Amino acid sequence: MAFTLIILLELTLLYLAFTERVKRFIFILMVQGLLLFGIAYLHLKQVNTLEFTFIVTETILIKGLLVPIFLNRLRKKNNLERLAHSKLPSFVSILAISAAIAFGFLLSEKIHDNDLQSKFFSASIAAIITGIYFVIIHRNIFTHVIGYLIIQNGVFLLSLAVGNEFPLIVNTAILLDIFVGVLVLGIFVNRVGERFEEMHIDELAQLKD
Amino acid sequence: MNVLGFVLAIISSLLIPGIITITKAKMSGKKGPGVFQPLFDIARLIRKGNVYSTTTSVIFQIGPIIYFASVVVALLFVPFGQYKGLLSFDADFVFFAYLLGIGKFMMIISAMDTGSGFEGMGANREALYSMLVEPIFFILMGSLALLTHYSSFYDLFVHIHYDSYLTYLIAALGVYLLLQIAMVENSRLPIDDPKTHLELTMIHEVMVLDNSGFDMGLINLATGLKFALYGGLIANFIFPVEWSLYAQIVVFIMVNLLFAVAVGLMESFRARNKLAKNPKWILMLSSISLIVFLCVIEITQKLL
Amino acid sequence: MYLIIFQILLAFTICVFFVSKRHMSNLVLLIQLGLAGITGYWSIDVLTHGTVFERELLINFWGSPLEIKVDSLSAFFILVLNFTLLTGSIYSKGYLKPYINEKNHAEFGLHYFSLAWLHISMLLVCMLRDGLAFLVVWEMMSVFSFLLVIFESEKKETVKAGINFLLQMHIGFVFIMAGFIFAFLQTGAAFSFDGLSVYFEEHPSLPLFLLFFVGFGIKAGFIPFHTWLPHAHPAAPSHISGIMSGVIIKMGIYGILRVLTYIHTDLLDIGIFILVVSVVTGLLGVMYAIVQHDLKKLLAYSSIENIGIIGIGIGIGLIGVAKDLPILAVLGFAGGILHVLNHSLFKSLLFYSAGSVYMRTHTRHLEHLGGLIKKMPKTAFLFLLGALAICGLPPFNGFISEFLIYSGLFKGLQTPSLQTNFIILGTAIGLTLIGGLALFCFTRVFSIVFLGTPRSEAPEKAKDDDGSMILPKILAGIMIVAIGIYPVFFVKMVGNVVGLYVRDISLIMQDTSYMSKISCSSLVFILLIAILWLIRRAQQKRVRIEHGPTWGCAYSGANPAVHQYTATSFANNYRELAPPFIIRANKHFESLKEEEIFPRPRSFKTKTGDMIEENMVEKPIRKIIKWMEKAAIFQTGNLQHYIMYAFMFMGLIFWLTIFNII
Repeated sequence: MAFTLIILLELTLLYLAFTERVKRFIFILMVQGLLLFGIAYLHLKQVNTLEFTFIVTETILIKGLLVPIFLNRLRKKNNLERLAHSKLPSFVSILAISAAIAFGFLLSEKIHDNDLQSKFFSASIAAIITGIYFVIIHRNIFTHVIGYLIIQNGVFLLSLAVGNEFPLIVNTAILLDIFVGVLVLGIFVNRVGERFEEMHIDELAQLKD
Repeated sequence: MNVLGFVLAIISSLLIPGIITITKAKMSGKKGPGVFQPLFDIARLIRKGNVYSTTTSVIFQIGPIIYFASVVVALLFVPFGQYKGLLSFDADFVFFAYLLGIGKFMMIISAMDTGSGFEGMGANREALYSMLVEPIFFILMGSLALLTHYSSFYDLFVHIHYDSYLTYLIAALGVYLLLQIAMVENSRLPIDDPKTHLELTMIHEVMVLDNSGFDMGLINLATGLKFALYGGLIANFIFPVEWSLYAQIVVFIMVNLLFAVAVGLMESFRARNKLAKNPKWILMLSSISLIVFLCVIEITQKLL
Repeated sequence: MYLIIFQILLAFTICVFFVSKRHMSNLVLLIQLGLAGITGYWSIDVLTHGTVFERELLINFWGSPLEIKVDSLSAFFILVLNFTLLTGSIYSKGYLKPYINEKNHAEFGLHYFSLAWLHISMLLVCMLRDGLAFLVVWEMMSVFSFLLVIFESEKKETVKAGINFLLQMHIGFVFIMAGFIFAFLQTGAAFSFDGLSVYFEEHPSLPLFLLFFVGFGIKAGFIPFHTWLPHAHPAAPSHISGIMSGVIIKMGIYGILRVLTYIHTDLLDIGIFILVVSVVTGLLGVMYAIVQHDLKKLLAYSSIENIGIIGIGIGIGLIGVAKDLPILAVLGFAGGILHVLNHSLFKSLLFYSAGSVYMRTHTRHLEHLGGLIKKMPKTAFLFLLGALAICGLPPFNGFISEFLIYSGLFKGLQTPSLQTNFIILGTAIGLTLIGGLALFCFTRVFSIVFLGTPRSEAPEKAKDDDGSMILPKILAGIMIVAIGIYPVFFVKMVGNVVGLYVRDISLIMQDTSYMSKISCSSLVFILLIAILWLIRRAQQKRVRIEHGPTWGCAYSGANPAVHQYTATSFANNYRELAPPFIIRANKHFESLKEEEIFPRPRSFKTKTGDMIEENMVEKPIRKIIKWMEKAAIFQTGNLQHYIMYAFMFMGLIFWLTIFNII
């Protein structure tokens, strides 16, 4: 069953390459949060209450609800663009993400390690590559943060891949990353958005002190 | 017994276009025509005479006939539960796909035969989309071949064992893919809107602008048959072979009806894609079929 | 006894020069029929009885006797090339008739002499095993095909294309020779093909195979060695283009297959290498074919695509042998080898039809043609047959070879090896894309050239072919339909050839029930078409049939040719999707300036270039020329300077000798 959810996760990554609307990106983050909850719950052998609440909080509450709602409000308040413009056409993105998924799969088959659970590893590689590709392709910093959050999801899966139990430290670190990333974006968009109209990184790269 | 499947497919092909129209009408709050209205239209067309353009040649007259014949012979391959199709051999889905290909070839050149810019547009787009759709079907069939270790249509469907969640996921994705392939091949939403009147945005409708009479009747019949073709394939995914014959017949008809209703619902609630986005949409289906393949590899590796 | 007749025919070819121009083609045809008859008899004997035919051709050839040896591989290729060369000769009679008044007797004589000797040298290529003799006849084949290509030598582009062709053939020749020499030096065995087997047993196979692959690949037209093909085919007269695409490039495939009979190690690497090169060749070939404007150049790129398909079959077969999957091996090889025959048939048919179009309209440019089906119905119908066959559509022969390869691929999925499964997936995707693109390409060609209304005055004056020009096309057409509807016989024939590579083909060759089912399905299809046609005829007798102009949405008054689709527009949505590093269209037009209130007339031109040729051939050549031009300061044109150079050279030698350097 866990593998089924992983496949659904990879399908959401493909949908990310396919769609062009920013609202959909946020929706995908929500779906991924839910899927990660399912995967984590099914995978962990022993679940005691503390860890269970931690997982629920991290995946459903933070990744699935809080962060998407926050991003959505940010988007609406600042009237950000509806379509995400990317430097390469979606056609190429779909090919690239499919290649990344296939690559993750092949890599996990080649590496036969006892400590490594191959199913999670392939999905995590795919998610990380997708996130990085996303950051490279898109011009808007808002979508950059979304790519960054996808990378965080990939790292979460990687933590599941290498261990059987729930590593508290790794997940706290992931939560901190998410928190900081979203916070910085929030501040940036709210404050900077009042002064400048553009969110394109080409324009922002010319900012001087 | 093999003939039973074929007969059922023909019956559903006569009903499906009507059900789609009624569903769309009801969703728009209209009363809708009767279920048999498309049939009456076809019967009327077959009785009528033809108007042939002076620019056209023999190709224009023979194109619809070859198209219709290709769809009928393709229908002979579709299995029905535990019974093979009337024609069945190893790797027959390759013959199936290329047979539909010769139908498309003839339709494209009969459209170009009229020398009209409109039909050229439709022919051009149809050629591109059919090229993009081919890999989806082959990867899907390849995945099934890998899963079941057989290679003919009948064997592929008969030997799917639903024993894990993953197989259910594969079947669900397979049904979804076949549904979307059916939409692309019949030029329905979101690739092409059959109700649009703007020639600049039509694909299939504009290719048959100059056809009339008997030829047009054949083309409309072929559309219904193509729907039944894919409905039959989807039904094979769904019903298990251990059930009794009557149960299988009922399930087959139910699946086809639900397929028609689903098509009608999809058409009512979707907008069509921007034309430039169509290739990307079809490519997405290819990627999904690639994921199906990866799933199957995972299953077969675990069985080792 | 037949051998003596063979040798007499060889000597008889000189008589071509002594006959009048009008009778040359008949004489050559007669000679070719004799040659084809003898070699065909030998080949059929070999294929049906499974024996090998050996005879001595010359008693003394550099010390040892020269043997000809016909095994099943040679026999198959001999039969293929006989058929296409005969149809080419029959076609040439009608095609060259307009040139009788323009060209003199020597040019005609040379052309027909070269044609006869091309046939002979190709037969000898297939039959000789001795290294030196093989190289000699290979070179003869290249030289005679060069002479044939530059028939219209008054045009500069023809000569340029011909010399390009000859140069590249020589480069390939050097690679092949290097391969033989390398094997000879390493093992000391006989300088022949059989000597290679000694080499391959002791040393790793891949490096020497690559050497031979480059040499034969230049002849076959694999990418990136294909750059001579798109120039040579339009430049040559059409019967030669048909022969070139049909069989000359297959000699490259013959060479590769011959070398492969001796290799038994490293098969997986070689197989994957051939497969990757072939998939790229197939895809790029058809991708370039779609954007061409010259009818024959388009067909040339399509030949490159089909060579890719043949290579895919061979690669899959090798992988099957390497991984011990007999189904994959047999079906892969069978598909690839059968495609050699199929491609020679439909490509020669397409080139002869294109030749007829060129002969009647004097243009090969797609944007100037159109509506030719009304003026040349027989040619159009035969071109349609060829187009349907080349797209691999049932019930014709192209489908059978592609079906064999697909069948092998999908049955090969039944084994659990992960690497094989991914290779099969990649190949299947590649093959489907190639098929889809080929359909796009040939609907475009057929509809732009033959359908619609004429796009310029050239097609208005066309007349249809007759007699000797229709006959070869009909012969090819009959074979196409025969292989499509009754493939069992041909697949069994190919099976003997496959037996050279795969040890045990008996099980698979016996289970050919699916072949008869394919025949059955094809016949059902054709029967249904016939029945529907009759029904419609009966129905149309009772109703009114009208004729009128095409519906033009109120534009009926204008010239209908103006708003029908052009070749560029048909390929446009494909071109926008294709990766820009493969297909780059250079658009030349002047944009509107702001102060131009009434725009002046403008023209628009798009040119798409072959990226590989651009980067691998043109750019290095330009760089080399730039450097060479720096040395041009020594070329002053003054004789006294040149004598001074010679004097300086003598002085240099003198001083070097004094100081004991040389």
